[in-house]
Amino acid sequence: MVEHERNNHTVEDGQPSLDALLAGDERAFEMLVKQESPRLFRVLIRILNDEEEAKNILQETFLQAFLRRDTFRKESKWTTWLYAIGINLARASLRKSKRLSSLGDQDVDRMQPSFAKGMFVESPASWDPLKLTEHSDKHEILYQAIDKLPEDYREIVVLRDIEEHSSEEVANILGITSGAVRVRLHRARHALRAMLTQHFEYEKHSAG
Amino acid sequence: MKPLILLKTLFGFAPNCQKVTDFLADYVEGTLPEKTVKQFEEHIGMCKCCGVYFDQYRNTIDLMKEGKDVKIPAELAEHTMSFLRKNANFS
Repeated sequence: MVEHERNNHTVEDGQPSLDALLAGDERAFEMLVKQESPRLFRVLIRILNDEEEAKNILQETFLQAFLRRDTFRKESKWTTWLYAIGINLARASLRKSKRLSSLGDQDVDRMQPSFAKGMFVESPASWDPLKLTEHSDKHEILYQAIDKLPEDYREIVVLRDIEEHSSEEVANILGITSGAVRVRLHRARHALRAMLTQHFEYEKHSAG
Repeated sequence: MKPLILLKTLFGFAPNCQKVTDFLADYVEGTLPEKTVKQFEEHIGMCKCCGVYFDQYRNTIDLMKEGKDVKIPAELAEHTMSFLRKNANFS
């Protein structure tokens, strides 16, 4: 059968059509899986830091989307809904495995810049540009730092700064306001900057 | 901080370091009003602490943007579809 005939009702503008997805059409879901798997997998692996579990949650996400498609509200995008399912399943997985993030809200507070009368209390330690450009493990250092963040901060950093979803999309996926996304993102970046400083600052030489 | 910007800050004609740090996310996003952008950039240009802090804040974001470089397992979509065919009752 000619492709465009076969997919006539399944595809709209290169996307699986909403009607076909809601009808539980296999070809529409196949298209959705092909299009969204890499992005969703990247989000899940950064949140879970476990490739096997990210694969399992990815499969479960699409299955849940299929089983619960009747509950989809048309005012949001299908992909936003899909990501919300994936994030919720990832949270449940983290709770079940009791793999808690190593930092709490108070640690994030501590890693915010401190000011007295509007001025920095301490000058920020400079980063060594050579370390930043040539550090072979710089991405691994970043991922480990992201993994230490509390889950609600980690999710925002992954969706907003790594996957570059808009603040509004992230707010819809997580069910919070855009303002809350912006505040949490800003705080998470401060915390990450502080953690990265431990790796990228100039070597400290002792006086003796 | 250089004397000129320090004076402006003290007399309330320019944002102080804390305010400038609050503006970082909106500056990076390009959502600050033009007048505030000018004040922000003037401060960053003259205040060593804020200059260093801003560079690190931006480098942190840039490093994250490179974070898309994840090795996608072979046949990820195919395996997911096999799972769905087994467990979903497709129409």
